[in-house]
Amino acid sequence: MFYIHQAYCISPQQTFINAGWNVLHESSDNQLKVIEPAYENIPRNLLRRMGRSVRTGVGAAFPILNETKDIDGIIIGTATAGKEDSFFFLKQVMEYEEGLLTPANFVQSTGNAIASQIGILSHNTSYNITHVHEGLAFENAMLDVALLLQENSENHYLLGGADELSDYDFNLNKLAGCYKEGITSNKNLYESDTPGTIAGEGAVMFLANNVQENAIAKIDIIKTLFTTNVEEIQQAIKTLLAQYSIDIFISGENGDNRHTRFYAACEEALKDDTAIIRFKHLCGEYPTASAFATFLACDILQKQNIPDAVIKKSASEKQLKNILLYNNYQGKQHSFVLVSGV
Amino acid sequence: MSRIFITGIGIITAIGNNANENRASLINGVCGINTKTKYPSKYSGVLPFGEIALTNTELMDKLSIHNKGITRTTLLAIHAIEEAISDAQLSVGEISGYDTAFISATTVGGMSKTEDLYHDVMATREPSPYITSYDVSASTIFIQEHYCIKGYSNTINTACSSSANAVMLGARMMKGGMAERAIVGGVDCLSKMTINGFNALQILSDEVCRPFDKNRKGLNLGEGAAFLVLEKEENCTHKKIYAEVKGYGNANDAYHASSTSDNGDGPYFSMQAALRTAQLNASEIDFINAHGTATENNDLTESRAMMRLFNDVPLLMSSKANVGHTLGAAGAVNAIYSALSLANEEIYAGLNFNDPAEDTGLTPNLHYKKKALKHVMANAFGFGGNCTSLILSRI
Amino acid sequence: MKEQLKKQIITFLNLRDLKPEDIKDDEPLFGEGLGLDSIDSLELIVLLQREYGISIKDPKEGRKVLVDVNTMADYIEKNRTK
Repeated sequence: MFYIHQAYCISPQQTFINAGWNVLHESSDNQLKVIEPAYENIPRNLLRRMGRSVRTGVGAAFPILNETKDIDGIIIGTATAGKEDSFFFLKQVMEYEEGLLTPANFVQSTGNAIASQIGILSHNTSYNITHVHEGLAFENAMLDVALLLQENSENHYLLGGADELSDYDFNLNKLAGCYKEGITSNKNLYESDTPGTIAGEGAVMFLANNVQENAIAKIDIIKTLFTTNVEEIQQAIKTLLAQYSIDIFISGENGDNRHTRFYAACEEALKDDTAIIRFKHLCGEYPTASAFATFLACDILQKQNIPDAVIKKSASEKQLKNILLYNNYQGKQHSFVLVSGV
Repeated sequence: MSRIFITGIGIITAIGNNANENRASLINGVCGINTKTKYPSKYSGVLPFGEIALTNTELMDKLSIHNKGITRTTLLAIHAIEEAISDAQLSVGEISGYDTAFISATTVGGMSKTEDLYHDVMATREPSPYITSYDVSASTIFIQEHYCIKGYSNTINTACSSSANAVMLGARMMKGGMAERAIVGGVDCLSKMTINGFNALQILSDEVCRPFDKNRKGLNLGEGAAFLVLEKEENCTHKKIYAEVKGYGNANDAYHASSTSDNGDGPYFSMQAALRTAQLNASEIDFINAHGTATENNDLTESRAMMRLFNDVPLLMSSKANVGHTLGAAGAVNAIYSALSLANEEIYAGLNFNDPAEDTGLTPNLHYKKKALKHVMANAFGFGGNCTSLILSRI
Repeated sequence: MKEQLKKQIITFLNLRDLKPEDIKDDEPLFGEGLGLDSIDSLELIVLLQREYGISIKDPKEGRKVLVDVNTMADYIEKNRTK
């Protein structure tokens, strides 16, 4: 489908410029919040208006913008960009009873705030789109990039997945029963056999094109499903495993026992010598967490090393070539992404 | 590569509950914008809005959907989708097929339930039934479940160009072999958020809006849902066809979050890109359904962009003076009105226009007439500089 | 009062890395100087209403008042109702 040439990630772990997986930053109150860099490249007058997903999205994009002359499109997946600004504005609406209100939060409240600010900052007038389909927002962004590269084989695209953990979203998701009842540390995320997970956030940006030479990784397959039926997931992974020999299975397991059956079904289908790794204890659960997993896959392929911090089941020493990521969001939106070494 | 045809349309706006009613209103120059708004805002009865007459209860009864927590956004979308899929005569198997793409668009989603949202987040009351209905993707996911849609599904939010981008993406996916057919469109309803947001920006007009007029004072918000069924030419034998989706282009203005650059760069580039994919010259466009929100900034910059691109700016109108600005639905509304023009060989009158702006001098088409058209352009430009242009053509 | 006004401007416009002493009384608010934009002018109109009870209906009228801290302070002195 396409090649990845650059990958940058701002997350709750040490991942931005020189990823280091040895120190596990701990969650607090069931939340994993990003470690934000100093945003030297963002003009103050723009920075002051940016919500966290916009700051981190722009921050992760900047190295790519600095290093790449021609970006022919900006394609972002996000479910939460602009939501905190929406709520701040809504608070004003309620508290001032629709009186005289300040507009800045409203202006920043659209879902395309990240893509738009990247476009403004880089004076990029090309294709600009934001996919907001919750747990498949990043996968839909990837599919759009795959289609763009089919249409324009010489082009280069900025592809990203970013979400922010606002009080707004945390409170609503908590009411909806998404998170653990009591406080659970990310260090023990997979140990309790209880419903719920912990919340997270992050921004990941990639440079994508059709150029094999010097690529970090290749995205071979992107498959999305909408189902609550575990048999459909079993069927999907069996079909994939019949075509590809997988070295590593990245599981989007998040400690929520209501969805364990999907991950168990996948693991059952794997060959014995496939390593199994997990990532949500690093980044928490959020709609575009699969972008973090894709970043992790790229890092593993580049370094030919699986960090201890993510291993659920190790495998014997071998060349690490094909990594299959399976993730689901709230047990309904599912995706398989095959990331391969080049 | 297959040609992409529109075989079904569904639309509900302030000027009609379906395509026939909308078309009749356009022919008769009906304006659906007034101050008789029922939506509970301080500005109802004060500022003009393009509100859809059907209440939520009426929509629920009509559609036989009474789920707790369902929002007006979802109800309006399903109302339009029902019409579109029936119009295209899609089978249940086709709707659920893995080869059918469903792409919706909205900017507000369930956030129109302002008070419930506020109290849920602040935990000042018992949780409302809407907790999982606020997200922009919530209505898309409800619709997926309602129709058992198993194929590719997506929600796009690029502010006011959202549903134009949904149409564009659907057509691209079909041409690219990722889908056999697509159900595409968008929806938005009135909400305190957008009413107060645009009011805080001081771009809401206190009268019915005047697109392209010298004395325009801003926009009127409206609500609407508009969906289209797109199918490949080879699957369209014995099908009614409205028009072909011939071209599309998206570009970024890259200037400011809420206003367009002085020379209308974003609009210029999106229109140019649409011509390129359609393989047409500017002179071949017969009519433009403009974005034309009647704000000082949009109409000026859109006019400048059109004057840069076209030696002779074609006939144009803005339906915002009929239905108001329907935000996430606006792009698909313009696409459907373009399809109706092409299929019925007619052009509709722009309303509420007296004098052209001094700096650009453009005058919309002011009279309904029968006219055979070959190619119509439909524009939609959103906050964040997101600009999309579609070109629909007679088949 | 100018000191307080500067603090209010910083808070309202989220100019988080500035202190009141960083803003000169005669430094232009728009264009050069602080480099504020049209959204900021709307925000400052709200500030005048909320903090000083002054209502400015027309944003263009507002730009005549919102030149620098001096002009704002003068206008506030003459027109405040709070």
